[in-house]
Amino acid sequence: MKKKLSLYILLAGLCTLASCQKLRDKISPQGILMAGTAVEERVEMSNLFYKDHMDDQVYLTVKGDYTFLVGADSHVTTDPGRMDEMLAIGLENDDLFYAHLGDIADTKPQYYITLDSLLKEAKLRYVEKYYHKKNEYEWVANTNEDENPLSSTYEEIPFPFFPVVGNHDITHNGWALWSNIFHSSFYEVDVINILDDEDFAVDHLIFLDSASGTLGQKQIELINQGVLDGKYGDGSTPYRYTFVFSHTNIFRPQFFEFASTFTREETYFLLDQFEKWNVNIAFCGHVHTWDERNFNGVHYLTLDSMCEKNNPNPGDYLVRINVGQDELSWEPVRMNYSIKKK
Amino acid sequence: MNFLQKTILTAALLFAGTSAAFAQAYSGERKFDGVHKNEINGSLFFGENVVTGFYFGENAIYTHHFTPRWSISAGQQIQFLKQVYAIDVTGTYRIPILKKTNLYIDGRVMYSRYQRWKVNEPVVNLSAYLETTYFDLRWGWSFISYHKQDVKEEYKSYTSSSYTEPLVMTLQLGINIRPRNHPWNLGLFIRNFDQYYYENWNINWGLRFHCTLPLDMKLFSELNVRPAGSISQLATRYETSLKVGLKYVW
Repeated sequence: MKKKLSLYILLAGLCTLASCQKLRDKISPQGILMAGTAVEERVEMSNLFYKDHMDDQVYLTVKGDYTFLVGADSHVTTDPGRMDEMLAIGLENDDLFYAHLGDIADTKPQYYITLDSLLKEAKLRYVEKYYHKKNEYEWVANTNEDENPLSSTYEEIPFPFFPVVGNHDITHNGWALWSNIFHSSFYEVDVINILDDEDFAVDHLIFLDSASGTLGQKQIELINQGVLDGKYGDGSTPYRYTFVFSHTNIFRPQFFEFASTFTREETYFLLDQFEKWNVNIAFCGHVHTWDERNFNGVHYLTLDSMCEKNNPNPGDYLVRINVGQDELSWEPVRMNYSIKKK
Repeated sequence: MNFLQKTILTAALLFAGTSAAFAQAYSGERKFDGVHKNEINGSLFFGENVVTGFYFGENAIYTHHFTPRWSISAGQQIQFLKQVYAIDVTGTYRIPILKKTNLYIDGRVMYSRYQRWKVNEPVVNLSAYLETTYFDLRWGWSFISYHKQDVKEEYKSYTSSSYTEPLVMTLQLGINIRPRNHPWNLGLFIRNFDQYYYENWNINWGLRFHCTLPLDMKLFSELNVRPAGSISQLATRYETSLKVGLKYVW
């Protein structure tokens, strides 16, 4: 009788858990043993997309010193306040690009619709600030000083927002939602930094798909083949700075925080690979806690969550990187949006 | 067991500070049988890993029972192609709870060399292992640190080449279809470690089997599915391996 009673209590508990919509939105119990969204398919698709669209966004060009803005774990649901604030801060400060370290939105179609609208509005503000209209359909960059400058249609102007995919982005097979907006979870971007009339430097941005806690066989094969080793010019121009962006963290900030979900071999593989790439800064998210350390010549910054639900009070949730010819530095960037202000 | 033996064993446990969850692939009766003080447990395994591809290897563990309660084990493992080499020493104290229920306190020090990436990984683990007729449970904690060996000279002045993880929990749950001391058995397990590594939040699961052979030997086998990203709720195929081994007592 006692055994039966225990069994009924257990079943009732499981049914309650299964029926709790809020928990089911956030948690995928079966994903603890085997997930439905596979990294191999994501990387395959990302790599194909990247190959087909290499000319779209692989180069950013900037004169002189520049900055970029990094945020993590915005977990956009119904209130995109913090995400909107990040986009506004970057525009106001003239940051060259935004990097987002994943878990940009929880997996629900309506959250992605909200996010998509937000990014479209941000692109409009970006184009209005940095471009002017040549005619009804074409725009020209304000920095373009040519007599007959190249023009682009609105759709052709890339919005420099580079995300990596996070586990919560795709927990409930959400890759279709994420990839519909961002297309590729595994790619690289070169920044051509014009120093003067004759001299330039090239910086390298590497975006990894680590949402599954492993890069997966395909991504590791591609890395071993040198796919992300950089392709600028004929390969003879060495990169000045290299930055890596990954959702999953490597180092565990504190005892009571979740540790990395990379396995032991993969952790050592990545630490080794980052050194081979001469990475200056590796940015990670996922763990919702700030951590900074230097290991084997690489500086690791693990960012706190910028989500207003995780961190309701204003705080330094973003990081701005200042890239100069002789110096690389970073500074925390404050976010003021708070649910309490609504 | 004389005073000296007890002192050495106690010192080994204290030195361990914590001890290791001893992932014996042999899942049958673990306690001293009252006759054979020595055990050797050897196995061969092969598998496929996402980072390193196909690999195979061997491991061997020697155990000596000083008394029905105290024992010590020493083992080694070589994983070819993956290039991981490991050794360990484990001290164990058994506390009988009921007639067929025992609680083991395992203290372990382990060293692994990840040759491919020039990383040394010492681990100290302390865990308690409860075995009942059908179920077993292990719970403990590990200190894991790793040390990169081929640090460039120019980095040495400003960078670290070592990292010690905060305490890492060790957990194992197992269930058998027959009583533990039955001549053959088949079971399921989940755990966040294997014989020579301790994971943070990745949960291995698999099947285990053992049966009795003539001449004081036991045959055992284990299918181990090791995903990555378990606690990210995106558990993804990372490594699958099959182990087959023999245990001999004398």
